Amino acid sequence: MSALVKTLHPDEKIKAGNIGKTMTRAGLGIALVFFAISIILTLTGSASGGHDSKWARFFHAYLIGWSFIFSLSIGMIWIVILHHLVRGRWVTAIRRICEAMACAFPIIFLAGLGFMLPLLFGYEDLYYWAHHDAHNEILNHHLLHKLNFWLTPGFFFVRYCFYGVLFSAIAWYFMKKSRQQDESGDPKISETLRIASGPAMVLYSVATCFFAYDILMTIAPKWYSTMYGVNFWGSACVGGFSALALIVIGIQRTGRLTHSVTAEHYHDIGKWMYSFTFFWAYTAFSQFMLQWYGNMPEETHWYRYRMFGEWKWVSILMVVGYWAFPFAILMSRWTKRIVPSLVFFAVWQLVFHWLDLYWNVMPSYDWNIAYHGATKIVAGPLTGSVSQHHVGFSPVDITVWIALCGVFLVGVGRNLKGNLIPTKDPTLPLSLAHEVQ
Amino acid sequence: MANTHDNHEPSDNDSEPVSADGDLYGVLAEYDTPGELLEAARKVRDAGYTEFDTYSPFPVHGMDEAMGIKRTILPLVVWGGGFTGLIGAVFLQWWMNAYNWPWNISGKPAWSMPANVPIAFEGTILFSVLSAFFGMWILNKLPQVWHPFFRSDRFGKVTDDTFLLGIEAKDKRFDQTSTTKLLQDAGAIAIENVFLETDPRRKTMPKFLFAIIVSSTAFALIPFAIAAKARNSHSNQPHFHIFPDMDFQPKYKSDTADDLFADGRANRGEIAGTVARGQLNADDEFYRGLAHGTGGEPQWTTGFPKQIEINDALVQRGQNRFNIYCTPCHGYDGRGLGAVPQRVAAGGGAWPARNLVEGGGVASKMPNGQLFNTISNGMGTMQGYAAQIPHADRWAIVLYVRALQRSQHAADTDVPADQKGSIR
Repeated sequence: MSALVKTLHPDEKIKAGNIGKTMTRAGLGIALVFFAISIILTLTGSASGGHDSKWARFFHAYLIGWSFIFSLSIGMIWIVILHHLVRGRWVTAIRRICEAMACAFPIIFLAGLGFMLPLLFGYEDLYYWAHHDAHNEILNHHLLHKLNFWLTPGFFFVRYCFYGVLFSAIAWYFMKKSRQQDESGDPKISETLRIASGPAMVLYSVATCFFAYDILMTIAPKWYSTMYGVNFWGSACVGGFSALALIVIGIQRTGRLTHSVTAEHYHDIGKWMYSFTFFWAYTAFSQFMLQWYGNMPEETHWYRYRMFGEWKWVSILMVVGYWAFPFAILMSRWTKRIVPSLVFFAVWQLVFHWLDLYWNVMPSYDWNIAYHGATKIVAGPLTGSVSQHHVGFSPVDITVWIALCGVFLVGVGRNLKGNLIPTKDPTLPLSLAHEVQ
Repeated sequence: MANTHDNHEPSDNDSEPVSADGDLYGVLAEYDTPGELLEAARKVRDAGYTEFDTYSPFPVHGMDEAMGIKRTILPLVVWGGGFTGLIGAVFLQWWMNAYNWPWNISGKPAWSMPANVPIAFEGTILFSVLSAFFGMWILNKLPQVWHPFFRSDRFGKVTDDTFLLGIEAKDKRFDQTSTTKLLQDAGAIAIENVFLETDPRRKTMPKFLFAIIVSSTAFALIPFAIAAKARNSHSNQPHFHIFPDMDFQPKYKSDTADDLFADGRANRGEIAGTVARGQLNADDEFYRGLAHGTGGEPQWTTGFPKQIEINDALVQRGQNRFNIYCTPCHGYDGRGLGAVPQRVAAGGGAWPARNLVEGGGVASKMPNGQLFNTISNGMGTMQGYAAQIPHADRWAIVLYVRALQRSQHAADTDVPADQKGSIR
């Protein structure tokens, strides 16, 4: 209990063995089966709206699910960078798993082409601004005309590639150097990573915000909030740490890392889940508060759609489920230290993180269905009668999400090989002896 | 460590200069390393002692567990404090804004939950932090200015490099011989008996300390005493000035008297027969709205001065200025239902504003020049806006008011022919 440092337990299984391969195969299976289900559901018209809107629904769901898995890696690359930046200690024992989750970026990036390529080749029903008709409208808008060059499919795709390459490169660099240290045991590698972590954090932060502005906020191009990026990041970290908890617990159930990762580490993962839950609520409310109080029509239409009509209940569910309930219960120490309880909250928070993205994206789609019969997506400000504010839930929303979670498992599984612990990291003995005061 | 051997047997001839004249308070044992201290604490706990404590220059990991200290109840205290703060802040806002003094602020509801969240949040944080801070002090029995162990010189080093374990004599299991042996077996490098003070002079608070506390308390009360006296008595003396040179500055304020000039006024008016630069304002039509016809008295102009170019930009400018300066009373539509009249009416009073667009009303009948003059110099209870609004902007407002009047009484013929189809 009391030792300040500990060495690796002699019986500890630190080799990944076949778990990476198993995870990849399972992920591939899930992805194929659920994509097939989603496509069948879409073709047979289970999606709401007219004929054209079926694929619009599919692509909206795809965007939500894809942002979801992307955000998990966003959260994990953050803790890796932060760990080096502040000379962290407790993360070391689980850092290789964080790195593996962050290194899912290339696969996620490829999966994102699923909605990016259609956009690039003229698909107009996901991003309204890609419409030819929209351009005149945008030109006439007193603020949006400045964005005319920004919101073109070509430049949008360039930025998409930039995010993909940047995040992949950061994740790959930290993983590679860490593995090098496993072999050489050179403590200077920690120093190198520490120096790299500063610029990496700056690039990461800016890119994450702009990622959120681009990929998610432009779904409603006439609405804008500078808080949006940081709010997305908070939610992403909730998801990232929740997924981390599940994957670490899963790996421990295969008999690996059973001595190295203890309730103390779970406690700290749980603390991050908890604090980012609050951070998300804090930024989400700040964003809402300013626009609600400012009461300017070009901003409030976005919230009006979510505050009144059927979406009101989803919004209330978010406040209660994503913030109030975990805030009240996950505050206690034991809820983070007992595995079943942590698993419960990890699953709970992942579901609500997805719902958060759903809540951000789907109202724009539903508005189109309600007002235009969705032969074409023609989103403008979300105006109109409250009685027509409609939650058009579709099973495709869920099946596409599960399929993309499979893609995420493929991305992570590929990287679970060799050591599951950075065996020669100088801070490892401190991490193994980690104790939450 | 030189005294290791001296301390094998606890005795009154202890190497430390502690007087052994009082009752035994407890036994202090010194250990070499934090690890040994931890082990010793565990042994003492296992032996069943409860009235003991460990002293070290820094927190030792695992000490709580080794000493058998239960987890602190501070989180519950903080939770209680935070919850109190939350409820208190919400109640405070409800009582002030919605119950005791509801006030119409631009038609916003007196009670609305989103507006209360920041204060509720701050209230929760404030009370959580205060209860954490003071709860920690109380649970740690702080502030504690004196402890019998302070009599040991060894204890003075505990903030530096010494690790001590002290067992108090009031523990039920305390027995000088066996307790000492227990500490010895746990690896103590020195053991020391600490006795209570018997000298009555040293048992009381030092007199100088007492004097400082009493006198500073008395001094602290002086401002309150002065304030209390001033509130309850009358005086012919002027106010007490802490900074007289700030309160009485060697300068003139407008419209005050002074003996320096013959007319006894501090103000200096314009010198007769001169005009200040840029203030000639000779054009009666532009600056005063007056038109000189062919002889006779000047009349209010009915058109616009030649300096004013009537175009869309000017109407926009007029709307902008009108919305800033005029709407508080006259309202956006010019019907006299602005926020001020409404609020005064809600409070039971009356502050009527002219309906500017009423067909055949005063404002509709006024020539442009008189409208301009009203903006400049006011009318009835309305004050003039000459100081706030430049001349050209006043003409822009006149133009906008005309546009408003026309828009409120628009006829079919006002619609351009090419847009008639869009009207239903």
